[in-house]
Amino acid sequence: MTPTQKDQVELALVKRATGIRSLDAVTRGGLPARGATLIVGEPGCGKTILGLQILAGALSRGEGGVFMSFEESSTQLLRNAATFSWGGLLHDASRCEVIDAKGMKGAEFAGAFDIEGLLAMLASCANRVEGTWIVLDGIDQLLRHQPDQEQAIEQVAQINDWCERQGYTLLLTGKHSGDRLTRPEHLAGIEFLLPTIFVLSSILVDRRLHRRFRIAKYRGTHHDPDELALLIDDDGIHLPYANTADEEEVMASSQRIGTGIERLDDVLGGGLYQGSTTLISGQPGTSKTTLAAAFVEAACERGERALFVSFDELASRIVRNVASVGIDLQPHIDSDRLALQTHTSWHSLAEQHFMALQQRIDEVRPHCLVIDPASALLKASSAQSPHIALERLLDRTRRDGITTLLTSLSSDEDPSDESTLTHVSTLADTWIVLRYEIRGGERNRALSVVKSRGTAHSNQVRELVLSSCGVDLADVYQYGTEVLMGTARVEKESEEEAARQRQKREREQRRRFLGRQIDKTLLQISEQETELQRLRAELEDESAYQGSSDRELARHHETIRQRREPENTLNREKRQTRRQEDGQ
Amino acid sequence: MSQKSTPANLLSRHLILFVTGDAPRTRRARRNLAAALSEAGIDGWPREIDLLEEPRQALDFGMFATPALLRTGEQRPRTVLYGDLSDEATLSQFLGEL
Repeated sequence: MTPTQKDQVELALVKRATGIRSLDAVTRGGLPARGATLIVGEPGCGKTILGLQILAGALSRGEGGVFMSFEESSTQLLRNAATFSWGGLLHDASRCEVIDAKGMKGAEFAGAFDIEGLLAMLASCANRVEGTWIVLDGIDQLLRHQPDQEQAIEQVAQINDWCERQGYTLLLTGKHSGDRLTRPEHLAGIEFLLPTIFVLSSILVDRRLHRRFRIAKYRGTHHDPDELALLIDDDGIHLPYANTADEEEVMASSQRIGTGIERLDDVLGGGLYQGSTTLISGQPGTSKTTLAAAFVEAACERGERALFVSFDELASRIVRNVASVGIDLQPHIDSDRLALQTHTSWHSLAEQHFMALQQRIDEVRPHCLVIDPASALLKASSAQSPHIALERLLDRTRRDGITTLLTSLSSDEDPSDESTLTHVSTLADTWIVLRYEIRGGERNRALSVVKSRGTAHSNQVRELVLSSCGVDLADVYQYGTEVLMGTARVEKESEEEAARQRQKREREQRRRFLGRQIDKTLLQISEQETELQRLRAELEDESAYQGSSDRELARHHETIRQRREPENTLNREKRQTRRQEDGQ
Repeated sequence: MSQKSTPANLLSRHLILFVTGDAPRTRRARRNLAAALSEAGIDGWPREIDLLEEPRQALDFGMFATPALLRTGEQRPRTVLYGDLSDEATLSQFLGEL
């Protein structure tokens, strides 16, 4: 190949998808279609499995390939592969050549050697199976016999160039002893030569093996350079934290959905936003599971699908327990609207839980999801922060518009310590805190909404009341600066009622007393009125008598005067007066 | 090819030299083998298989590096000596067991 041709090939790096979705995501499309990819790692990291799985993927797409192992016999390889769901594909001899080169491992060498014969044989095999994939597993076991290490490196370059020319996608695997080098021990310098290098590693955390994957080098293309958790299950290798989803922005829903408790919906300003995340934290026994069950029951009653993942509590026990407070989940399980699953938290790594949850979400496609408690997931062994599992999961649920409710166990020693959950709570849109209020020898459940994004929620603490009729919230009793709940609330309420009754009675008595006083007064007024009238009448009588008496007296005096004066005199005077008047 | 003609001799029955065309290490191996055989006073030349011509023979014999000298025999386990046979001591020991 001329330098110009080589430049052109490098300019347009063509990739070949491996069929491992997460690997194709982190490599942005797969391995270089022409040339070698080196996979280095300690023993037991999954190098061989990765090679076998990639080949099986190629076979499943109707492509052919060659697998040559310098580490294991063909029988061993196929036996190992048979433990995976795709193992059977490798038995298709018409498209797959499995070459046993284990014998090279302990062979005797007397001088330097060539690999042209090896390449000729590989070309012949690839030709027969019409394959474009070649895996050389444990190539370091052959090349370490080269007396001059420089020659070994040259031969790796030779293999790479040959694959580029022939159009083969080649995987080379090699061991190193855990010094986190990006090359096999016997092939110093190979890391500078090959354009693509993946590093597999493993560490023990809490006596559990954690496998890791990293793209140390991928020349000429964008890729994800982070070290990622690597899991191996029946389907082979997974990189659960690889970003396989589209990074498209999703629209936030403004639709609200009920929590299953009407008064809680009121507190939250109408319910939870669809696609939002709610955290319910509280000590053991504060009814986190009950609230979660009410939430999924309400979802199922709306005709939605719900997934309830319980850590460490059996599904049947949850159904039984919440039935005692009037939440009946069984009909919804029977009608497949509710999937209620139990996971064992100690059994798996955080990444495994994450992947299992992803798979369940894929299967159920729920509208509503409950993880009870999500703190179990955070406790699971993980080499990285286990919060990553939860963050990734919530990213997924938000994108898919799944309304998610997480419960979290808060510390028993310090129930007021809400900060231990800070990380999770920052991820949640709504944070409901349940706690016990201990007073007067009893525990009562108090519910408060610490935050609820995009909602004018009530800041009041309320009492969570459970009965066989269901779950409800009660307004707490304000007593000075304190709030009273439970019996104290009931007692205080009845005390106040008694006082009210007493006051009522006293007022009634007072009113009656006043009424009586008024009646009495009115009676007195009436009596006085009568007296007044009598006195007036008496006065009138008195006045009338006085008048007639005076007139009698006047007449008496006139009579006497007339008697004393003669008639003539009187008449003469009268006539004289009359004449005087006429003469004028 | 500098094959010495000793038809149906011991060597051609029990020794096979895997080569790749006329590559430098192949040439070196032939030279080193010839010298060692001469030193040991053994006549003849092993059967040669050119993997460039017959690549499937590599699979059949399990020979994945060249040059390689394969010793077979009904009585003894088969052994292989890889490389250009420049390690004289190893080669003479290998031939000594013939």
